[in-house]
Amino acid sequence: MNAALGRAGIVLAFVSSLGGIATVVVALSTGRRALLRQAASFVALVAGGAVVAFAAMERGLVTRDFSMEYVASHGSTRTPALYNVATLWSALEGSILLWGLILAGYLVAVTFKFRRRLTDPLVGWALLTMFAVCTFFFGLMLGPANPFRTLATAPLDGPGPNPLLQNNVLMAFHPPMLYLGYVGFTVPFAFAVAALATGRVGEGWLVETRRWTLFAWAFLSVGIVLGAWWSYEVLGWGGYWAWDPVENASFLPWLTGTAFLHSVMVQERRGMLRVWNLSLVCATFSLTILGTFLTRSGVLDSVHAFSDSTVGPLLLGFFALVVLVAVGLIGWRGDRLRSPGRIDSPVSREGAFLANNVAFAAFAFVVLLGTVFPLIVESVNGERLSVGVPYFNRMTMPLGLLLLFLMAVAPALPWRKASAETLATRLQWPAWAGTGAVVLAVALGARGLAPLLAFGLGGFGAGAAVRQVALATRRQGWRGLVGRTNGGMIVHLGVVLIAVAFAASSSYTTQREVRLEPGESARVGGHSVTYLGITERAEANRTDRIARVRVDGGQVYAPRLQRFPNGTQEIGRPSVRTSPVDDVYLALLEAPAAAGGAVRLRVIVQPLVMWLWVGGGVIALGSALAAFPGRRRRGTEPASAPVAEPARDRPDPVEDRQPVGVA
Amino acid sequence: MASPPVAARRAPGKGPRLGPWMSSWLVMAVVLVVALALGSRTVGGGSDQDRVRAVASTIKCPQCAGQSAASSDAPTAEAIRRDIADRLAKGQSPDRIRDFYASRYGEGILLNPARSGPAGLVWVLPVVAAVLAFAGLGFAFRRWQQAAPAELSAEDRRLVAAARRARLSVGEPDGEPVDPHGEGDGR
Repeated sequence: MNAALGRAGIVLAFVSSLGGIATVVVALSTGRRALLRQAASFVALVAGGAVVAFAAMERGLVTRDFSMEYVASHGSTRTPALYNVATLWSALEGSILLWGLILAGYLVAVTFKFRRRLTDPLVGWALLTMFAVCTFFFGLMLGPANPFRTLATAPLDGPGPNPLLQNNVLMAFHPPMLYLGYVGFTVPFAFAVAALATGRVGEGWLVETRRWTLFAWAFLSVGIVLGAWWSYEVLGWGGYWAWDPVENASFLPWLTGTAFLHSVMVQERRGMLRVWNLSLVCATFSLTILGTFLTRSGVLDSVHAFSDSTVGPLLLGFFALVVLVAVGLIGWRGDRLRSPGRIDSPVSREGAFLANNVAFAAFAFVVLLGTVFPLIVESVNGERLSVGVPYFNRMTMPLGLLLLFLMAVAPALPWRKASAETLATRLQWPAWAGTGAVVLAVALGARGLAPLLAFGLGGFGAGAAVRQVALATRRQGWRGLVGRTNGGMIVHLGVVLIAVAFAASSSYTTQREVRLEPGESARVGGHSVTYLGITERAEANRTDRIARVRVDGGQVYAPRLQRFPNGTQEIGRPSVRTSPVDDVYLALLEAPAAAGGAVRLRVIVQPLVMWLWVGGGVIALGSALAAFPGRRRRGTEPASAPVAEPARDRPDPVEDRQPVGVA
Repeated sequence: MASPPVAARRAPGKGPRLGPWMSSWLVMAVVLVVALALGSRTVGGGSDQDRVRAVASTIKCPQCAGQSAASSDAPTAEAIRRDIADRLAKGQSPDRIRDFYASRYGEGILLNPARSGPAGLVWVLPVVAAVLAFAGLGFAFRRWQQAAPAELSAEDRRLVAAARRARLSVGEPDGEPVDPHGEGDGR
């Protein structure tokens, strides 16, 4: 029953997407604009189909309908309720179903937001693009990634999801957040395609999608941080970022998306960089598809890669299509995209944004190259090689430091041109903050040039951000905290926290493997750990062997080894004593069969790890503040004068100029 | 990182005031150089376990999905760590140990690709790309600076003057512009 219902939902969503495409194409090609309103009905049908399919799958999981192949291979009667719900996105087919649901959600949101402008060809083209993306994803679920396959004979129980995916609550939040980010970039992409197709390549489409991009970016950022946190809490090696191909796949669109959020301001202000911004939007969207390809096709070894199937080639084909369409459209509109503006001085806000964009693009290039290089080499000469953590750390460090520096300087730079004196005055206190950070770090015993530079530039950047927010709140009261610039400064603070925590925790790790008898203590990185004893406990879905370990004579922590019925070997589950200064990370490597024997423990002491997660929260807060409408200014005409056909490239009518998201 | 004192906001453009901030920057430069010089002196190497971990983190665990021999708990990774410890104890250098593993398992076991041969491209390409990109940016700035600014007509000036008047009239009561620092407030 669940399978039939879900299947029906997928078919409905797929057919409605096709119907939507047909309607919009007919309306746009025959000029019958009123027909465009009908697109809304198809949007409702797509959403309805997606919701039905999603609900059917959740119902199948919750009611343990083992006649569904997906439930039989990934669900189990022993899985606790929360992980049962999260099982939907613990494997290939289900995660594409979640993708489809979120895509349908964005489609509804766009249609609702632009409900009064459905007859505008710009909105029509955007909906057409989104319908096309929907067609692809629901088509996948009709074919190779069908989540609703059934079994002739239903088993009595299933194995449950991968053990690593069912012992931390973050698993319930990391994938949906990440997908809200990934899928959200469909919206700016759709409007970019629409702007190119209609020839309205001025600043209108940017203003329309500004807030959508910000939302997608914020969700992606939070999703990435949650993923890092999950990996820290679960994987037991004490790290949170391994430059794993699939982590890179989520990081790539983040890099290009971040570049876009900055360069968009240059276009709004100066009417420049049109081609560049369109390229960044298209690159961001196509990188989300490429990331999905890398994750879902099993082409790269990774803990995330689910399986190999025909989904891979289809995703790769779709990626190629997206890139071709984007390049083709930008090339076709090349003449209109030329912008008349020029940048007066490299020492200006727009100059800093340009440098920022080059640095982000180089960063993305390094990550992309490092990720796919082994594939390329293998396909060229059959040689197998690896590109790992040491490579990424070394190559991205200078770019990261450069970005921190720009982040500190740019907020103090005026538009157009800065004099040395302006800079010297405005940057004085931020620079002292940075110097203070270096002096403090050295006084506390931090050594090494790279981490010290990171602390110094972090202090500098934080000082610049605080200065901007302080000036703005002094001028405008609480309104000085909202709006894009000020919210952006809060985001900068979050990024500084993450950068400093990253530099500190990766540079000053103390790690020991110790063997302890009951009652015995060891000293690691200034902390004492005492092994008290071992207990065994049976949970619904697993059996735990729990070591009781006292840290610094205080609280007792419980690193454990977990045996799941579907796992061949025991899985470690670390336990972490977290504090603002440092984390004591305990992973149980070996536990005695009988009570009273010795255990082998991995103890890792890392400073400032907690601030990574705090930084993620600050980024989310800052994004929310940035999305909140700042003080209304009198509408200004976009700075760019159109090059060709001035009459058609006028900014959109007054209604269009409303900031997106302010209903 | 406290909020900047009023002195820092003093309007720029007054020549004689060069003094205070110049000396502040000089003091800062001295403090910074001293602190960095003190801080970048490397201290002696860590314990045996640290040295093993440093080598193991550049070697891939052959059995695991993309993890290094330092971070994996798989039996193979543990065996590799023990072997590295033995070899270090015998006085072998990290590079020699890596060469041994590469000869036994192939280049693919090294997480740092070789600097030479086709694998070297992965090191060279980003540097070349970054240099080209920043050079291109510098070139663009030069071109923009050489391009003559657009001629202003009387009509343009009148428009600007009208816009400025309108802007000032919505400013604060004392007639100060809304945004004296020209820093924008995130429209």
